[in-house]
Amino acid sequence: LKRGVQDLKCTTNNMRVWDCTWPAPLGVSPGTVKDICIKDRFHSCHPLETTNVKIPALSPGDHEVTINYLNGFQSKFTLNEKDVSLIPETPEILDLSADFFTSSLLLKWNDRGSALPHPSNATWEIKVLQNPRTEPVALVLLNTMLSGKDTVQHWNWTSDLPLQCATHSVSIRWHIDSPHFSGYKEWSDWSPLKNISWIRNTETNVFPQDKVVLAGSNMTICCMSPTKVLSGQIGNTLRPLIHLYGQTVAIHILNIPVSENSGTNIIFITDDDVYGTVVFAGYPPDVPQKLSCETHDLKEIICSWNPGRITGLVGPRNTEYTLFESISGKSAVFHRIEGLTNETYRLGVQMHPGQEIHNFTLTGRNPLGQAQSAVVINVTERVAPHDPTSLKVKDINSTVVTFSWYLPGNFTKINLLCQIEICKANSKKEVRNATIRGAEDSTYHVAVDKLNPYTAYTFRVRCSSKTFWKWSRWSDEKRHLTTEATPSKGPDTWREWSSDGKNLIVYWKPLPINEANGKILSYNVSCSLNEETQSVLEIFDPQHRAEIQLSKNDYIISVVARNSAGSSPPSKIASMEIPNDDITVEQAVGLGNRIFLTWRHDPNMTCDYVIKWCNSSRSEPCLLDWRKVPSNSTETVIESDQFQPGVRYNFYLYGCTNQGYQLLRSIIGYVEELAPIVAPNFTVEDTSADSILVKWDDIPVEELRGFLRGYLFYFQKGERDTPKTRSLEPHHSDIKLKNITDISQKTLRIADLQGKTSYHLVLRAYTHGGLGPEKSMFVVTKENSVGLIIAILIPVAVAVIVGVVTSILCYRKREWIKETFYPDIPNPENCKALQFQKSVCEGSNALKTLEMNPCTPNNVEVLESRSIVPKIEDTEIISPVAERPGERSEVDPENHVVVSYCPPIIEEEITNPAADEVGGASQVVYIDVQSMYQPQAKAEEEQDVDPVVVAGYKPQMRLPISPAVEDTAAEDEEGKTAGYRPQANVNTWNLVSPDSPRSTDSNNEVVSFGSPCSINSRQFLIPPKDEDSPKSNGGGWSFTNFFQNKPND
Amino acid sequence: APISPSEPIGQAYSLALYMQKNTSALLQTYLQHQGSPFSDPGFSAPELQLSTLPSAAVSFKTWHAMEDAERLSRAQGAFLALTQHLQLVGDDQSYLNPGSPILLAQLGAARLRAQGLLGNMAAIMTALGLPIPPEEDTLGFVPFGASAFERKCRGYIVTREYGHWTDRAVRDLALLKAKYSA
Repeated sequence: LKRGVQDLKCTTNNMRVWDCTWPAPLGVSPGTVKDICIKDRFHSCHPLETTNVKIPALSPGDHEVTINYLNGFQSKFTLNEKDVSLIPETPEILDLSADFFTSSLLLKWNDRGSALPHPSNATWEIKVLQNPRTEPVALVLLNTMLSGKDTVQHWNWTSDLPLQCATHSVSIRWHIDSPHFSGYKEWSDWSPLKNISWIRNTETNVFPQDKVVLAGSNMTICCMSPTKVLSGQIGNTLRPLIHLYGQTVAIHILNIPVSENSGTNIIFITDDDVYGTVVFAGYPPDVPQKLSCETHDLKEIICSWNPGRITGLVGPRNTEYTLFESISGKSAVFHRIEGLTNETYRLGVQMHPGQEIHNFTLTGRNPLGQAQSAVVINVTERVAPHDPTSLKVKDINSTVVTFSWYLPGNFTKINLLCQIEICKANSKKEVRNATIRGAEDSTYHVAVDKLNPYTAYTFRVRCSSKTFWKWSRWSDEKRHLTTEATPSKGPDTWREWSSDGKNLIVYWKPLPINEANGKILSYNVSCSLNEETQSVLEIFDPQHRAEIQLSKNDYIISVVARNSAGSSPPSKIASMEIPNDDITVEQAVGLGNRIFLTWRHDPNMTCDYVIKWCNSSRSEPCLLDWRKVPSNSTETVIESDQFQPGVRYNFYLYGCTNQGYQLLRSIIGYVEELAPIVAPNFTVEDTSADSILVKWDDIPVEELRGFLRGYLFYFQKGERDTPKTRSLEPHHSDIKLKNITDISQKTLRIADLQGKTSYHLVLRAYTHGGLGPEKSMFVVTKENSVGLIIAILIPVAVAVIVGVVTSILCYRKREWIKETFYPDIPNPENCKALQFQKSVCEGSNALKTLEMNPCTPNNVEVLESRSIVPKIEDTEIISPVAERPGERSEVDPENHVVVSYCPPIIEEEITNPAADEVGGASQVVYIDVQSMYQPQAKAEEEQDVDPVVVAGYKPQMRLPISPAVEDTAAEDEEGKTAGYRPQANVNTWNLVSPDSPRSTDSNNEVVSFGSPCSINSRQFLIPPKDEDSPKSNGGGWSFTNFFQNKPND
Repeated sequence: APISPSEPIGQAYSLALYMQKNTSALLQTYLQHQGSPFSDPGFSAPELQLSTLPSAAVSFKTWHAMEDAERLSRAQGAFLALTQHLQLVGDDQSYLNPGSPILLAQLGAARLRAQGLLGNMAAIMTALGLPIPPEEDTLGFVPFGASAFERKCRGYIVTREYGHWTDRAVRDLALLKAKYSA
């Protein structure tokens, strides 16, 4: 007994029959096998003559197999399913086909499933060989499930290399993986190779042709050329050639970019020819975006979408869109040749009548793929109607019209919401909503009410479905004028009596358009007495007044406006006013072009108030305009463009009672006051020596231009045509001003004037608007006779008195006069011949004085008793020894005139010390002749400062004026300085003593010290009694004294 | 009464001159729309020929030795073929370049002018008493399955030969014009 798997080999291809073989034992011919017996089997032994046997599959587990030979030899094996190999039958390729356009192979084979237990997994291995390469270009495993039936299996493979460029061979094998079989599972044998090759049917040499590829992908292009290919390029970019076999070459293209419209050119160049192909690289369609469907008319549904990313493919390669409605099964196709960017695509589908819910699927397809979007709509909720057309407006009456429009579409199942826009000139637009039952392709009518008669309207309309989706666009506009209606009110009426009181003039105002309700054709004016109509007048528009000859009875005037639709209610007014004696005229001033009027409420006034106004300067009847105010008002603002500033208007407030109108108030007023444009006309009524009586007239109202508030009268001395008087400035100090606020005053007396003097008189009127122009006049006052007489008599009397006094004095002092002027024995001093001796005599004295060295100065206070305001002569005579010439000490704080001198032979006299103290100033009195010149020299400097003072004649010498004396009074002294003056320099009048050490010095101060010894000088110590009396001063010397005292005048 | 040949010759010559001004623009526009390498500057592929379109190239000697009738007949045949080919190219380009109205318009204009020149030539032949050759379908069945590349090349050859034949027609007509000018 032998046992071993090695010896008994069993295989199966269907797991049902095992095919076992074993080697014959040594020395035993295989043909001598007698039978084979398998233990545990019903018919355990089978007669046999070979060393192989097919036995039905055994149950799992070990089985003892005994083989008997004819020669009695027996071999025993143990057989288990685990030792059996499952080797499927070699598969057979049913069909191998090629799609050369797509370079794909389709393999078909039968899995022979019926012969195998099922379910079983079958694993297929397919290899693709590319001539002439021996190694497969593709080796693919594929699993299928055996179902117990023979099934044709498919396998599709796309070649990188176009199939045209090489012969491709395919082979297949498989193995079965059954869960019920525990033995070995082995691959079947490879099927015989199946070849596929391209039968050349065009002259094309390059493959693939016109292929559409995904941008960015890689591809291989091959070229079968009869001659050697020199280069291959994509566009103008050369690519390395891959030699396949013979002259067939290929190039690889990596990451191909999106092509332009006409595609990407790939070219192979040979010695004598050019071969090429075009590749279209792009993208599959993007998912349609913003897919939205709506209907305009419930007949067709229009869907719109955005294509999204561009595909880069045009023409026949462009995306084709199919819109499919799944409920009705209807579809529509959208295909356009050009590829556009960012455009909204639209596609319409006819609606199935009665279908509301629509389920749309939009599919975009191009050679590279497809994409979908879907939307479900209830179409009745997606109605965006067309624009309404054929607008019509039909009048129903003056305030109601029928507005109609046509709207295409089948709206029978929905209600429409329409908006009607009503537009009136100069008015806000009004929009009214109208819900209308829908109809099919119908004209819709809507009544539009609450319109104004005789008014131009513009209508337009837009609609949507009641379940709002979108408004249609606004329709065009339709203009319409509503019809006329009777005027709603009678005209606003007033009446005035003509100036002669015989005619009544009836006025009325044109009705405003909203009350006229049409074009007013005429007005009927009638008057009735005791409810009996007396006369009727028809006045045609635009005349708005009528004149009726009436007696002064209580007529009732009634005015009716009439248009084509009819007549207005009458406006009635009584012809007569109710008298009112208690009327005062008031004043009012407005603001801008308006006047504000108020009044007290009067319960008797039951209808209304009327304010009537007119230009006061116009002739009667006075009526510019009027206004009615409700009876409950107590104020109103009268405003009119006709109001002008500076014009006086009369306002009359009437109250209305059942009996008629009664004047309540009368007001004159201005909207704005202006200054008068004329001056009051004035005349001089009377003139005396010291007064003038002026009288003036009123200014006319038109020229007053405001309420007169008063007059300004001013006057001044002055003559005609002198510049000073040509215009009077009221603020000038010389001008006397009188403000006359009592406007009833018409005369003015001006008193306290000077006689025989010309006066310039000016009169101006003023209002709140300002001062009017001035009127001026020159008047000369009359001569004052009493004054003249006095003026003559007084000088005569004075002259007489002076003459008498002089005579008396002369007579009484005749001895002294004689002694002085005509002495019997002449004074040697007056003798020129003796001057020298005198000088010698004096000189000795001077020498003597000068020897008193140092000279201690003494102060002498010299005071004057004169009553005039004293002036300070701040003078100090300084000893040349004590101080240098020209230096001056400070002014004495006590204001005393201090004269320093060396006490010589001269006596001094204090005249009036008390006066000095009281006056606070002192009169300078010089002690000697020389010292008199001292201030004169000092004043010379000051003289230059005030040249004005010395107007008129001037002496040829510079006049000495003390600076301390100079004051405001200087001006008054102009005239007094202008007198005769010695033409010689005062210095030359010095008594120059030959003895004086400084006699030749030009400095007067110093010089003066050298001559203290004149006897005549004694006279000068007496203060002069009069201003300048040459008599009291001896001879020519008096001049210096005169000048010295002059400032005190 | 026989018409004077100078008038149709003058008209044909004017038209040929006008066409000559536009031929290079047509070729450039065409090439620009075909992508690289067609659109590359200086592109030229003289080796590309169409069997259905007679070549304008002829030796000067041969051309000069031609009779008027033959010269006109050759030109007539060429422009007849060109009008058909230009129609074909127009169709091809509406497939390849649907969004290029300029190119399509230029191709259409060239075709119309070629037809106009054909009419003028027929008038000349009538005036000269020459027989007018019958219209032939020069294209036959050939072109419908052409690939995009073939269409591009075909269009290139047609627009190129259109220029060449126009140049030749100007020479032909100039000669005739000189001969028949009154």
